Amino acid sequence: MRVTTTVNGERYDVDDVWEGESLLYMLRERMGLPGSKNACEQGECGSCTVYLDGLPVCACLVAAGQAGGRQVTTVEGLGSAEDLHPVQQAFIAAGAVQCGFCTPGLIVQTHDLLRRDPHPDDAEIREALAGNLCRCTGYEKILDAVRLAAETMSAAPVDDPSGAAS
Amino acid sequence: MEFLAATTLSDALAAKREQPEAVPLMGGTDVMVELNFDRRRPPALLDLTGVRELDEWSMDGDVVRLGAGVTYTRVIEELGQALPGLAMASRTVGSPQIRNRGTVGGNLGAASPAGDSHPPLLAAGAKIELASVTGTRTVSIDDFYTGVKSHAGRPDELITAVLVRSARGPQQFSKIGTRNAMVIAVSSFGLALHPDVKRVRTGIGSAAPTPRRAVEAESFLSSALEEHDLWETRAALADSLVREFGERVKAAARPIDDVRGTAAYRLHSLAVMARRTLGWAWADYAGGTA
Amino acid sequence: MFGQRIRRVEDPRLLSGRGRYLDDLGHDALAVAFVRSPHAHARIVDIDVSAALAVDGLVAIYTYDDLDGRTSEPLPLLIPHPTLNQGRTPYPLADGEVNHVGEAIAMVVASDRYVAEDVVGLIQVEYEPLPPVVGLAASRDGDALVHADVPGNVAATMVQEVGDAAAAIAAAAHRATLSLSIERSASMPMEGKGVLARWDADDESLLVHTSTQSSTSVRQAIAAKLSIPVDRVEVVTPDIGGGFGVKIVHPWPEEILVPWAARRLGQPVKWVEDRREHFISSAHERGQLHEVEVGYDDDGRLCGLSVRFWHDNGAYTPYGLIVPIITSTQLLGPYKPGAYRVEFQSMYTNTVIVTPYRGAGRPQGCFVMERVMDAIAADLGIDRAVVRERNFIQPAEMPYDHGLMFQDGRPLVYDSGDFPASLAKLKALVGWDEFDSFRAAARAEGRRVGIGLGCYVEGTGVGPYEGGHLRVETDGSVVVSTGLTSQGQGHQTMLAQIVADELGVEMERVRVTTGDTRRFKYAVGTFASRTAVMSGSAVALTARKVRAKALKIAANALEAAVDDLEIVDGQIRVKGSPGSEIDLGSVAVLSNPLRYAFDAGAARATQFAGPVDPTAPPVPEGEQPGLEGTDYYSPVGSTFANGMHAVVVETDPETAEINILRYCVVHDCGTVINPMIVEGQIHGGVAQGVAGALYERMEYDDAGQLLNASYMDFLMPYASEVPHIEIDHLETPSPLNPLGVKGAGEAGVIPGSAAIAAAIEDAEGFAITTMPISPSQLFDLRRRHCER
Repeated sequence: MRVTTTVNGERYDVDDVWEGESLLYMLRERMGLPGSKNACEQGECGSCTVYLDGLPVCACLVAAGQAGGRQVTTVEGLGSAEDLHPVQQAFIAAGAVQCGFCTPGLIVQTHDLLRRDPHPDDAEIREALAGNLCRCTGYEKILDAVRLAAETMSAAPVDDPSGAAS
Repeated sequence: MEFLAATTLSDALAAKREQPEAVPLMGGTDVMVELNFDRRRPPALLDLTGVRELDEWSMDGDVVRLGAGVTYTRVIEELGQALPGLAMASRTVGSPQIRNRGTVGGNLGAASPAGDSHPPLLAAGAKIELASVTGTRTVSIDDFYTGVKSHAGRPDELITAVLVRSARGPQQFSKIGTRNAMVIAVSSFGLALHPDVKRVRTGIGSAAPTPRRAVEAESFLSSALEEHDLWETRAALADSLVREFGERVKAAARPIDDVRGTAAYRLHSLAVMARRTLGWAWADYAGGTA
Repeated sequence: MFGQRIRRVEDPRLLSGRGRYLDDLGHDALAVAFVRSPHAHARIVDIDVSAALAVDGLVAIYTYDDLDGRTSEPLPLLIPHPTLNQGRTPYPLADGEVNHVGEAIAMVVASDRYVAEDVVGLIQVEYEPLPPVVGLAASRDGDALVHADVPGNVAATMVQEVGDAAAAIAAAAHRATLSLSIERSASMPMEGKGVLARWDADDESLLVHTSTQSSTSVRQAIAAKLSIPVDRVEVVTPDIGGGFGVKIVHPWPEEILVPWAARRLGQPVKWVEDRREHFISSAHERGQLHEVEVGYDDDGRLCGLSVRFWHDNGAYTPYGLIVPIITSTQLLGPYKPGAYRVEFQSMYTNTVIVTPYRGAGRPQGCFVMERVMDAIAADLGIDRAVVRERNFIQPAEMPYDHGLMFQDGRPLVYDSGDFPASLAKLKALVGWDEFDSFRAAARAEGRRVGIGLGCYVEGTGVGPYEGGHLRVETDGSVVVSTGLTSQGQGHQTMLAQIVADELGVEMERVRVTTGDTRRFKYAVGTFASRTAVMSGSAVALTARKVRAKALKIAANALEAAVDDLEIVDGQIRVKGSPGSEIDLGSVAVLSNPLRYAFDAGAARATQFAGPVDPTAPPVPEGEQPGLEGTDYYSPVGSTFANGMHAVVVETDPETAEINILRYCVVHDCGTVINPMIVEGQIHGGVAQGVAGALYERMEYDDAGQLLNASYMDFLMPYASEVPHIEIDHLETPSPLNPLGVKGAGEAGVIPGSAAIAAAIEDAEGFAITTMPISPSQLFDLRRRHCER
């Protein structure tokens, strides 16, 4: 089937989509957007977290067809290697990346947290990230990064590319 | 496989009648996992996320009509006052990402004994609205669960809404799991006080083949409260009463040993949760905050 | 740069979705899926593919009968050992018998993964089930055999003894016996395994990308198995989404089969492991049962220690006896055991193979030794920290020779460490001496809290060697490569820091490549916390070599003595004489005399560009063109890091839920290259230690089915489970390498179960002898304790 959807602000018409395939598969295999990662295919790890109409969801649990006519924002849409979003910059500064496989999902989830709650306390951060597995960091420096991003973003607010406002 | 994207309820019901074996798809938290793992290849998926009627909740008098497609996140954010037990349980579901997609309707459709919505809906005395092209009917939650992962809906029907009376008294929910986050309950318990009708209702999760009430414990507690005039006096509950309630809740469960915990632990933890939730709920009631 | 919190150069790509992991490559490749055994132990009677042949998109189905040449032989036994006289390894595809659920039987190649999976579902395999051997008890019973020709299911028995332990224990004033066990867990990186192979028919060569911890060795294995000259095979690691040990095993069956199929089909072929495959067909670790006898004096000092243990090695032994050898030697930790005897048996079971997982046998050893320390303290009524202090090896006793043979076949000699100082720091950090009053106050409120300690010593940086290559390009940039691989440890950053310092250039000018055999052919791999020690030392030595060459050329150009020169920010200058300087890029130009100019830099090196000494050859005798060098580091033995953890837990008196209130770490990995990276390694290790103590286990039923083979049921911790981790460092530099560094990668995981068990024991008042422990199990222990 054909799925027409908007990803990172760009309209895509994707053909030959299998009816049972996930948004994650469509993004990675048919749209050239491999930033969202596949680690469990059951919504437990959060590595494939993307925005769907402004809400973070696991792309592996969204049928590709369910994204038809909707707005998707992936990690690729939040900032490029040359022009990183403050959340991404905070992850570097805090040393919150190790293997990087879970990182794209954490970036989207953190982006959403700070959009809803610019000054989360530690319990709120842990709760917000409790759907994102990381096997490398023990989360300590990820928490540092979220606190740091909250600080820098409240000092200098940035545009929201998640599609939530639209 | 076909992908049927319904945009209105009548379209959806027509599709379900046309293809009763089409699998309704909302948050995908159960169906997509089965597809991803090659466990299931249904002839058709019926996407209901575009059906506006399912995505809304409304008040009809003091009854909340909760559309089957309302997500846990919205239950937490919008219905904490009216459905406190369900909102509490919703907070313990999965992760933020799962709560943004998962729905109470989907939880009812899967009818897993470990589903987090069931205990508070049992305790609240909800009704399930089932619709087909031939009409709409409601089924009491008490009659809804018919076996392991099966329910009273017919193949041509969709779960369209849950009808729950807005809380008249305190409601509590408790869940025990090995991990804090993303945990499937080792056991869970929901309790609702209904002071207007002087009744207590309960719901047990993960400790029997289906979600179930602890009916005998409910009548024991309800009559004890009535007998000692406690609904009026709001006096403290005797420890022995609370303890006995816990034991009777425990007696209602039929748990098994599995990877998440032993039957003995499930029974024990149910008794503890029953005592604790009753303690919290009664403290609320005695304090007059609900 | 050395010692500073340098931001990682790897991060911008990884943070913006530009990381390229195995599954992000090869969109033109055919996809692979495997038929895997649903039985733990069975004979394969028949494989019927007829129903599958009509599927649109199917390219090929292969079974054992299709394998040719050396691919039809068992996979290599990577680490042979004289006592491993019953080693067994699997075939790439099962040859008539399967020995665990998940063993590969048939390989399907198709246009995409969905098609390949559908074909897998249509292949009918007829099995004759054999009795499964699951768990150490069944294996030791020996009623059923995993391999019919291995009596008693014993792969190996190994004994080491220093002194006469039995006599020492018999003569001791006090004796105790303990039975201690640890269940299975697994590395469980977020990215599973994966292989992409491209066969170039014109060149008759293979290019293989694989998510491995040892690219050079995978290359050798592929060449050997496919009977291709080694120089026709290159193996490259893309970004790797974690390893933690499981990816050091090689070649995985798929690392042979995928290149084999790519050559056979003349098309690129890719396999990416899914999560269930990772659970049932990669590797597990930790499962061991230990029987301990100990003798000690009135002060709690060890007189003799005898440990017998059984190691569950699963269905095959491709990685030899490394894990139990490490347990048997590293169990001793920072202590002097008196006389010591250790004996282990490595046992077959019909379960997934066992190979090193971060810590590699040390968490089990540490658990055993620390439980012994706590048992002695309890028996004699001595403070648990004091018992440890009395048994410590003292700083003045370094280097300390235990008289045992370590996992590298070399003597177990500790090179450094100050254990009393580490413990003093830890006690101060956690408030050890004040805890009694805290515990009492909590008790008075009806709360149960407890504190526990775990101390370990970890042999890191095992040999035999690693190497480095470094080249200064004519634009002044520095290109470095080392053969071992990276799985997220920040090697590119850490190695660039070393090079920047040694060479005298800015970090930004240094680019590091790891795990690419096109760039560096000789290497061992990433395991045993060895990268900083081995490759770090190797690139330091290499940088020194290139620096010397650069100074020599620059001395000539600047007409100065080598000893008078320094390199600062890529400029070579005469010390104290500003103005006379030459940049490294220009030195690189001078180092490579040219005939042809292809850019302005090159033009400066051509034959008519400037004055020449017509009596000397353009490349001086004994020199090579180019400003580059290669060097290797090969130490006489491992260097020994150490650390101590203290944990405070609270247990719910009713529900038996276990909550960590504080987690404190004192850590000594010698000199620290990048504190931010080292902290990250400790944090990640602690998280896996907590996971192994409270959450993760492999639940096999008696039939050998893994009941919790998914992230839903194998309970990895989230941010909501891992406590805040407090760290203090102690630096006792290693005398063994030029940097003074010791490994840091595995450390954090080692004492988790030991310290948490001790804390729960302290809170509950009865012995904890099995880990991990869940609320359900703690509840069960409480009931049994009450009944007693």
